[in-house]
Amino acid sequence: MYGSPSYARLAPLLALVVIGIVLPPLVPQYFLSLGNTLMMYAILAVGLDLLLGWAGQFAFAHIAFYGVGVYGTVLLQSKLGIPFIPGVLIAAALAGLIAFLIAVAAIRLHSVYLALATFAFAESAQWVFNSWEGLTGGADGLRIAPPSVLGWTTGTDARAFPVIAIILALVIGATMYLTRSRLGRSLCAVRDSEHAAAVSGIDVFRTRIWAFVISGTYAGVAGGTFALFQSFVNPEAFGFSQIVLVLSMVVVGGLGTLPGPLIGAVLLGLLPEIMRTAMRGLFVWQELVYGLILILSMMFMPRGIWGLIAARGGRSK
Amino acid sequence: MQPLFQIRDVSLQFGGLRALNGFSMEVAQGSIHALIGPNGAGKSSVFNCISRFYTPSGGDIVFDGHSLLREPAHRISAIGIARTFQNIELLRRLTVLENILIGMTQRINAYFPFAPGARRNAAERNAVRDADALLERLELASYRNVPAEDLDFGHQKLVDLARALASRPRMLLLDEPAAGLRNREIATIDALLVDLARRQGITVVLVEHVMQLVMAVADRITVLNFGEKIAEGAPERIRADPKVIEAYLGTAGDA
Repeated sequence: MYGSPSYARLAPLLALVVIGIVLPPLVPQYFLSLGNTLMMYAILAVGLDLLLGWAGQFAFAHIAFYGVGVYGTVLLQSKLGIPFIPGVLIAAALAGLIAFLIAVAAIRLHSVYLALATFAFAESAQWVFNSWEGLTGGADGLRIAPPSVLGWTTGTDARAFPVIAIILALVIGATMYLTRSRLGRSLCAVRDSEHAAAVSGIDVFRTRIWAFVISGTYAGVAGGTFALFQSFVNPEAFGFSQIVLVLSMVVVGGLGTLPGPLIGAVLLGLLPEIMRTAMRGLFVWQELVYGLILILSMMFMPRGIWGLIAARGGRSK
Repeated sequence: MQPLFQIRDVSLQFGGLRALNGFSMEVAQGSIHALIGPNGAGKSSVFNCISRFYTPSGGDIVFDGHSLLREPAHRISAIGIARTFQNIELLRRLTVLENILIGMTQRINAYFPFAPGARRNAAERNAVRDADALLERLELASYRNVPAEDLDFGHQKLVDLARALASRPRMLLLDEPAAGLRNREIATIDALLVDLARRQGITVVLVEHVMQLVMAVADRITVLNFGEKIAEGAPERIRADPKVIEAYLGTAGDA
């Protein structure tokens, strides 16, 4: 893609912000809590898709960068008294920096080797969250004091909802611009053919590193939003099942598209809720259900749900 | 006159295998220079050395007085050399227009990618305008928004070529542009090459098996066999060279 997003494409973002502000007094707290969770997953999934779907890098460290975002934002606030906005920016930058270091270390690895190396990193990051008790509280977890965003204290779901809606709108908007930019096209070029990219003047290593940094920064921002509506965090939130969940969102929704991870985040984010309420007896099978959905989706709709919709509408993306 | 491009005594080694052995070649500015030879002779290895995918174990590759061996792969485009690939390396999920924009990467001024801005608008507008002009010229305009993977083979080769031309190269490396094409399509490539070299002054180095094309367009031919140059000269001389005939028919050359 090229140029800039049209006003027609940007308009839904304005709608998202308006809904975010208007909705809280009108609906029960349960739906706001669910909405916050889904919006956070949306940021996480869009960020993972930039690396996996757009840049074609088979990497699984995303959840670790998300963890850095959560702990970073919370600890900067509790230990150093840094307010939410600078706090989340610093935490996201830190996540991006760690992603940069991982990318440099793993830059010669491709496909399953890259997957294994990054997965190992994610596991070791969870171990660090578990073991660095002085900072993270270890397995006992950490209480999150309600952050203040420009004087607006969040804490409750209703008060966090508009803030997260605005952050999500900004993230989607930034992604629309990115995917239509020279860098965005370079990500796709590296995915489709490293040789063609190189002879076209694209620095393949550098572009792959950018993909990691951008994706890690998005995960850090998603982590910051966690601190807005959750009152407690422990390392369980950054385990293997979470990696599979976010991966499923991207794959089921549609790799390498913007609507894809958004659709995936909503559908697969709702699934645990549905299973918990409507299908109580099946809840213990949750992870099995994710695995099944992932496999069936890859077999029968390799381009995901958005791929099917786009094909029907005769559009390429 | 100093040739535009020189390969000087280049050797390339893969483990125990010598892919190129003291290979030299000079290409004159504005000429069409064909590089031919049997399968496995080392033709694509020559291109991959020039593209800096491979690093020769000895020798030098010089373009316009500038050693390419000191540059990384992605700098070669900015120096003025573009190439196509034998097994088309398309950006398959990107549209034809996006493929061209990728070819232009070097020419698009940098801007902050995450937000609107005047620099961005100017850079993108100029790039798309130039890309559309190129698509028009190569009669690809009607495929502008089609993903490259949905095109037929002939058009995919043309998109690969268009992507290479988009960087406005001074020298173009074409790896078997006619392979797998029908006669009518070969005639198109034929006319295009002559136009590039004669009218636009682009120097062309051509690896090709389709002799009909090579003999029709090449000013000069270099013949490779087992990583070594066995002949060089004008097409009519090469056609009659006993060593070339032997290499192609594989009589004594097999030993």
